[in-house]
Amino acid sequence: MIPSVAPAPADADQTASTTSAAAPRRRAGKAALTKVSRYRLFASPGAVAGLLWLAALVVASLTAPLWLPFKTEDQDFTAVLSGPTAAHWLGTDELGRDILSRIFAAAAGTLGTSLITVIVGVGLGTLLAMAAAGAERTEAVISRITEVMMSLPGTVIILAVIGAVGTNIPLIMAILGILMSAGIYRVVLGQAKSLQSQLYVDAAKVDGLSPVGISVRHVLPGLANTIVVQAALIFAVGMLIQAGLAFIGFGPPLPQPSWGGMIQGASQHVYDAPWMMVPTGAVLALTVLSANAIGNALGKAPNAAAPHLPSAAARRHRAQAVAAIAAAPAPKDADAQEAPGNGTLSVRNLSVGVDNGVGLVTGVSFDVAPGTVLGLVGESGCGKTMTALSLLGLLPSGVSVSGGQILWNGRNLAAATGKDMEGIRGRDIALISQEPMRALDPMFTVGYQLTAAIRRLRGMGKAEARSEARNLLEKVGIVDAQRILKTYPHQISGGMAQRVAIALALSGQPRLLVADEPTTALDVTVQAEILSLLRALVKDTGMSVVMVTHDLGVVADICDQVAVMYAGQVVENGKTAAILDNPRHPYTLALLAADPHANDADNMPERLATIQGQVPQPKDWPTGCRFAARCQFAGSACKDPVPLLASGTGEGLVRCVKADQLAVEGMDWLATDVPVARLLPISSQHTTAAHQHTTVIEKDLA
Amino acid sequence: MALFVAKRLLMALATVLVVAVLAFLLVHAMPGSPGAVSLGAGASQDAIDQLNQQLGWNDPLFSQFFRWLGDAVQGNLGVSLIDGRSVSADLADRLPVTASLAAGATVLSAIIGIALGVTAAVRGGLLDQIIGGFVGLLVALPAFWVGIILVYLLAVQSSVFPATGYVPFEVSPQDWALSLALPVITLAVGGAAFIARQTRASMLEALQQEHIRTLRATATPTWKILYIHALRYASLPIVAGIALQFIGLFGGSVIAEQLFAMPGLGQAVQTSVSTHDAPAVQGVVVIATVVVVAVNLVLELATKFLDPKLRAS
Repeated sequence: MIPSVAPAPADADQTASTTSAAAPRRRAGKAALTKVSRYRLFASPGAVAGLLWLAALVVASLTAPLWLPFKTEDQDFTAVLSGPTAAHWLGTDELGRDILSRIFAAAAGTLGTSLITVIVGVGLGTLLAMAAAGAERTEAVISRITEVMMSLPGTVIILAVIGAVGTNIPLIMAILGILMSAGIYRVVLGQAKSLQSQLYVDAAKVDGLSPVGISVRHVLPGLANTIVVQAALIFAVGMLIQAGLAFIGFGPPLPQPSWGGMIQGASQHVYDAPWMMVPTGAVLALTVLSANAIGNALGKAPNAAAPHLPSAAARRHRAQAVAAIAAAPAPKDADAQEAPGNGTLSVRNLSVGVDNGVGLVTGVSFDVAPGTVLGLVGESGCGKTMTALSLLGLLPSGVSVSGGQILWNGRNLAAATGKDMEGIRGRDIALISQEPMRALDPMFTVGYQLTAAIRRLRGMGKAEARSEARNLLEKVGIVDAQRILKTYPHQISGGMAQRVAIALALSGQPRLLVADEPTTALDVTVQAEILSLLRALVKDTGMSVVMVTHDLGVVADICDQVAVMYAGQVVENGKTAAILDNPRHPYTLALLAADPHANDADNMPERLATIQGQVPQPKDWPTGCRFAARCQFAGSACKDPVPLLASGTGEGLVRCVKADQLAVEGMDWLATDVPVARLLPISSQHTTAAHQHTTVIEKDLA
Repeated sequence: MALFVAKRLLMALATVLVVAVLAFLLVHAMPGSPGAVSLGAGASQDAIDQLNQQLGWNDPLFSQFFRWLGDAVQGNLGVSLIDGRSVSADLADRLPVTASLAAGATVLSAIIGIALGVTAAVRGGLLDQIIGGFVGLLVALPAFWVGIILVYLLAVQSSVFPATGYVPFEVSPQDWALSLALPVITLAVGGAAFIARQTRASMLEALQQEHIRTLRATATPTWKILYIHALRYASLPIVAGIALQFIGLFGGSVIAEQLFAMPGLGQAVQTSVSTHDAPAVQGVVVIATVVVVAVNLVLELATKFLDPKLRAS
């Protein structure tokens, strides 16, 4: 069979991967890419074996006349159709010709002509993609043409071409390359377009670099890995097709040996000499396998996102971890026992970590009483979301609770099985997430998703669930609920989608709502509406909320309690009013000082504060205070581990050895001078991605 | 939607027309005039010239093409230069053979491929690696080689299936199925591997979508998340992969037809190309294109129907 002239299937993994690697440094881009590729290549044993095999095959084939024991046409009539013998290591064919000699004599031609398909196909496909990526109109035309090319019966056309030009293998392989370029174009185009839309390409355009110059200097290097991957895969397909053609009698002119022709010869003797099939088939398969292994190793995405539903193997792994936690003797401290109350959440000493041992959240404790709202605040990378997701047992694959307790009505959810959690989720604890559009299933209507959840969680019939769905939508402030039920998620606005997501979360009448930055992706007016909706829901239903946010305005607006998190720890907690008015931990001080909204208009400082540096990576956390490296007040005492201590403001706790001293002296987090490097154009290493309010530098007073 | 269908129909028609022109030109580039091909090696130059004149070989290309096109639209694809049979009648006999082969192999490879791909994505771990290795091997094995091994094992060693030949459905449905079994399996091996890879990748991508977490947060049972929501999300690229598979198999069945002596379209191309039978080559190229383009069109419309975003627009 001639495989379909289609993009090789392994691409799905890799199209997304290389762009991120290619984008950032254009100078170093080329070198960095080849480095990455080479690393991936040698990391895969299959690819290394493949490379060795191909190299050995080429060398053996090119030097064949020097060492082969027989000429390809030597006929040994004493050993016709023989199996492996001392004289003929791989046996002989029907004319007594040595199979080993013929395989290696044919190898160079097979590999060489397949290379023609690769060069023509990948070259043309890449050129077309680069041309198309640069101009929309060109893209429309080329895409149309390639669509047509891909919907043609390629084999039949190749055979018709053979009818016209004869069995001129190099020419046929070149035409095959043209047919296959359509598939390659499709694979490369997406990536070429994303490279074209990079900001540095825009900059180059402004600088007056020609479109061709842009393609060659900025787009092509980024495509290098994809091109190599495609080349390897097409190489394999080319060999298979060439062998297939030879098999049906369109190989190189006789008596020149070819792998397909040899297998065809063998097929005539499958009754009396089945061995003949084996050597040539195995060599062909191994060679194709080698090329595929190289392509797949290079194309493998290095950091694919974790699935939200872990695989069965990952679930088994997690079940073991959970069992270990359940088996561990739980510290029976007094307050854990006390409250099997209605909708009380007590998190005790919770640790969450990557399965390889790196901790993301360490020793976090907090309580949420029924009908109250707790805010988890901090910069990105502090472990807020991981903490929140652990409450529902929805940590991403490869991340799990490594210690501590999540006591829900006195029951430890950290040690609950997957099945038990399924009974808790939706009914007791519900989730709303940051991006409402992505949180809803794009393939199903709002009505289907809502009624399915209601029927499942409340055991209602179809009609009843339908009317309840409408009630819920009205409850979250949607006026034309009937119409919205019939829409698909892509047909409604972001704010509307978040209301639907909230309705979905409410469908099981939960008593705790975990809201992971529910307003971050929405524009400001909609944010306020969603917050007041949540406030009303808390009041009406008596449910409690764990609100993850980096926005102190949200905290002030809706939270009763606050836990400020930094680098996987709670550094300060207490009543919202106490923390906002009288912060004790330097990090809280800094967050407030850096927030333009937290300062009154009349005493707005001329320059907002900043927090130097970034949240450290979990593997870089020090044993002492994790904030010390960025703290204006840090001293030698901060090198030792710091416990949570009573902060002196009500029941609040703070993790800072200097908290009392700071409070007594009434020290503020100072707006430091802007570092000189920061003022220079983009050259600085410090310019990290937009880092929320904490890196807001200056505020115009006018 | 109607506009979309109309546009696609027009595209399909244009595709077939372009291929018809291409086939016509290729056939004219074949070595030897039709007279020479038809009369064989022993014929005199006068006889060849006379036949060429009769067949209109010396007319301008333009008028030859439109004469052919006019006949073709009425279902007449000309007469074979070798045996004088009507090309249309011959292809009408052959089409069901190749259609059964291609359809059977596509269905079989879709079933096996989706099962393997979903299992690999959903089970993960060791099983994923085993399936990955197995699929990688299947991709690398040449179909004709697999076919011969199958013949050796299932027809020579144990005569479960007939080794070669085709029995029409009208003659005996049971023998028809038996005669198709080995060629269909042969063709499906590579196809199943292709679809398995596509399915695994699409399923993994579907499971990375955030709405999967929402579904879990509302206590959706795992089987429902996997087989209703994720598979539905993954279905678009999978269906596209199956369409490509069919296109590949429809022409690509030539090897299975040769190996198992099936009187299908592929065999027709192979023999007519070897014998320089111009009308036959031209006819089979156009017919194969028509079938493939039509199936592609249907599957594309099916894909659009699966995606709410595209359905609405």
